[in-house]
Amino acid sequence: MAVHVAGPRLYKSIHFHHLVRKSGSTSGSKSSNISLNLVPFVDMMTILVCFLLMVFSSSGQLLQAQKGLELPVALSHDTLQEAPVIIVTRNEITYQGQSIITTELALKDDSASFKIDLLYERLEAAARKIKEDVGLGRKYDKKLLESCDKARNNIRPEPGKVCPDGLAILQADESTDARLINKIVNTAKAAGFDNLLFAVKSK
Amino acid sequence: MGAAVGTDSKGSVNVELNIVPFIDLMSCLTAFLLVTAVWVNIAQINIQPKGKSRDTSNVQEDTETVILSVLVQSDKIWVGLSRVNEFQDIPKLPSGEHDWDKFETTIKQHKTSAFFNDRADIEVAAESTVQSPVKYQDVIHAMDLAVKVGFVDVGLSDPAGLSARPQL
Repeated sequence: MAVHVAGPRLYKSIHFHHLVRKSGSTSGSKSSNISLNLVPFVDMMTILVCFLLMVFSSSGQLLQAQKGLELPVALSHDTLQEAPVIIVTRNEITYQGQSIITTELALKDDSASFKIDLLYERLEAAARKIKEDVGLGRKYDKKLLESCDKARNNIRPEPGKVCPDGLAILQADESTDARLINKIVNTAKAAGFDNLLFAVKSK
Repeated sequence: MGAAVGTDSKGSVNVELNIVPFIDLMSCLTAFLLVTAVWVNIAQINIQPKGKSRDTSNVQEDTETVILSVLVQSDKIWVGLSRVNEFQDIPKLPSGEHDWDKFETTIKQHKTSAFFNDRADIEVAAESTVQSPVKYQDVIHAMDLAVKVGFVDVGLSDPAGLSARPQL
């Protein structure tokens, strides 16, 4: 590879003498000291940091963004809580990030049980594990376990503090056919998930 | 943060703050917050799957209580009362959208009635077929309006499992 003579360099070949003269240096017109005004930059950074701190939320990690998934819009502002997530995109149904079945196949399957068998197996195992954990009082926050006692006494839980036993999140695309939603809800109910949180985009 | 005092003459009182560490800190913080920022507010609608499914055909129906049932179809929405067997259909608007305002008014009227003024339960179902599909967004909208009106115990049911079903 041929070695070339160095090209133009900033300030050496491309002259910025007009800037230097305007920079207000004290040691004469030939001085090369240029003082950048950093105040607007610091102002902008401060405003940006304040804004980002205000919108900072630690609950956003509960749900994953996926291709082909546009959540429906609703007026609700109740916060989501941690629970197993069933995701229904335009193409497939996933549970905890693992693909279960395509939506096309799930809709075609018209079995008498009216549930999605592959999803049922996964959900039933998960429901049993959660029930066991709640029963032993492990893995979950004390307040959440208290909400389980309240649920047994038919006391309505606060949003975000629903008993984890039998609780799942359904994150489905807005254009999903309601038949598929019915099937998933029936499957979840049969597996032991009696309480479903439908994830929505807040208006 | 470093500071340089009086550089030019002995009597100078100019203090130059070294803002480089401050800018470094701000840059790191901005980068971190931009990465972790949540731009979409996600909320939830809490529902209880209820009604009869094909699995549970032997559910004993509570025939004493009047239940408000909503059936979302592709061309209309039915609002019905069990026991009373009173139904109201809300057809779609000429624009092709469901008449959500009328639906909200209807369930609001029911909420203020003697049957439901001290209750918060409602059943919602969607009847979707290959020929006339119902979108999930419409079901969510119906449930969302029910919650807004005061029916916070929303039960999602199979169309066949609704307590009050219109004769289709």
